Amino acid sequence: MNQTLGKSLYKKFQNNTYLVLLLPLLLFVVLIAIYPLFFSFRISLFDYRLTDPNQTQTFVGIENYIRAFKDPIIFISLKNTLIFVAGTVSAELVMGLGLALLFAPETRIARFVRSFLLIPMALPPLVVGLVWKSLYNADFGVIPFYLKELGINVGRGPLGELNFAMPAVILIDIWQWTPLLMIIFLAGLKGLPKEPYEAAYVDGASRWQSFLYITLPLLKPTFLIAFLTRTIQSFKVFDIIYATTAGGPGNVTTVLNFHIYTVGMTFFDMGYAAALANILLFVVTIISIIYIGVMSRQQY
Amino acid sequence: MNQKKALWEKIILAVLSIVAIIFFMMPIYWLITTAFKFGRDAFLLPPQWLFFEATLKNFQSVLASDKTFLYIKNSLIITTGTTILSLVLGVPAGYAIARAKNRFVGNSSYFFLLLQMIPPTAMLIPFYLIMRDLHLLGTYTSVILLDTVFDASFVVWMMRSYFVDVPQEIEEAALVDGASQLSAFFKVAIPLSIPGIIASALYTVIYSWNDFLFALMLTSPKTKTIPLGILASFSAVEISWGKMAVMSIFAIIPAVLISLFLNRYFVQGLTAGASKG
Repeated sequence: MNQTLGKSLYKKFQNNTYLVLLLPLLLFVVLIAIYPLFFSFRISLFDYRLTDPNQTQTFVGIENYIRAFKDPIIFISLKNTLIFVAGTVSAELVMGLGLALLFAPETRIARFVRSFLLIPMALPPLVVGLVWKSLYNADFGVIPFYLKELGINVGRGPLGELNFAMPAVILIDIWQWTPLLMIIFLAGLKGLPKEPYEAAYVDGASRWQSFLYITLPLLKPTFLIAFLTRTIQSFKVFDIIYATTAGGPGNVTTVLNFHIYTVGMTFFDMGYAAALANILLFVVTIISIIYIGVMSRQQY
Repeated sequence: MNQKKALWEKIILAVLSIVAIIFFMMPIYWLITTAFKFGRDAFLLPPQWLFFEATLKNFQSVLASDKTFLYIKNSLIITTGTTILSLVLGVPAGYAIARAKNRFVGNSSYFFLLLQMIPPTAMLIPFYLIMRDLHLLGTYTSVILLDTVFDASFVVWMMRSYFVDVPQEIEEAALVDGASQLSAFFKVAIPLSIPGIIASALYTVIYSWNDFLFALMLTSPKTKTIPLGILASFSAVEISWGKMAVMSIFAIIPAVLISLFLNRYFVQGLTAGASKG
């Protein structure tokens, strides 16, 4: 019985080379990624602190989730995450399109500049954060110095002031990721058909008009993909927050990912951290499914 | 499109271009020059952008420390391990998804897309506990495994869109000649898709080299990578900007080399995920 089952399975694999090629990765991912996520759901139902010398795990049901909805820092960090995502994504979309239009011509200079503009997004985010932290430094940073020359005084430096910390962190993200959107928009611009522009030119449309009424509408799919790609990445922000403000001053830059890290890895309150992580996972999964729905409809 | 630009338009475009270039290049330029400055000059205001006394002193003191080589070695091991494992697992899977008529195999690409979007912290907390129970905390293995989840999922997605564009006729001809599907994959499809594999490899190199969060939680002092080394030099009693800058230069070498010299592959990778559903 067992032998025949083994044989028929073997035959099935023989006939399905593609399944054989896919299977190693599938098994790997289930073991390394999916199993931990189930494990995480289990932990989230326990009161489990690594600081406890006896390592007791007390079953508490959904108490960790209830605690999350009563935790004021959750709402602050959710708000901060939304501000961060909205600020970075909208600015990067506009600037990314601007850069793409600026450096679209296939001239030698444009190509040269484009390759240099690729650098920021390939850099380690931690290094980017530390460099900007130095540039922002209140005492010897370059940016506060020039701002002072312009008559703007930023006291404890942009990262140390309640009003400036979030915009300052957003600017770092804009610096690093706008070039990615430039690349996506360049690919979108390249794929545009020529005919509508010729027709518009014959009809006497100005370049601004053809941009507004032809380019922008035709770029809609590119916009969507750029928007969703960056939104999902932006939700994940961690390294630059860790490197620059560590969530401060006064929690104004505490984003969800950073809060979860603090709960889990500095307070070692694993059950609660897992519950928070699962809530974030839930939100991100919903956005991702929307993203995938949009992507799969745009088979071009 | 063919209308001539007026002079004032050209001037505005040129000014905007220069502003953009300064904005995006200034921090990198600052980092590189700081590595070559004496400590006292690094703090000078107004900053010395162009004319300063250059020194290799920072490089000497960083290279004199054994720890530097340890960090570099660790980063190299983790990056190499992740890249090889991601390609070995991801390239065949990408091919399978591109060619299979089976719906389960074909649609699994969306599963891998979804995986890439998981917030790292959501994964890290359970993974940390599992690695602790398996006594794998502080090993290269733990970091490589977790990096590979994200990187291999990316490789699948990218190789899938690459294999879709590789003409199937040659593979079919090989099959007619009696080759098995497996040998059609190894002997025909892989040689034809070397550029796609290079692009995927560059990606995994950048991602795993740049990783900070996973290494922060999963490495021990013996397996720390370069980003953690930079952080260590930053939080030491005496903050040396020059040394930090030198370590950072080691950290950004792959990014700069790939952007400037292999940008053809790099751009391919960036747009593969974005333009093909």
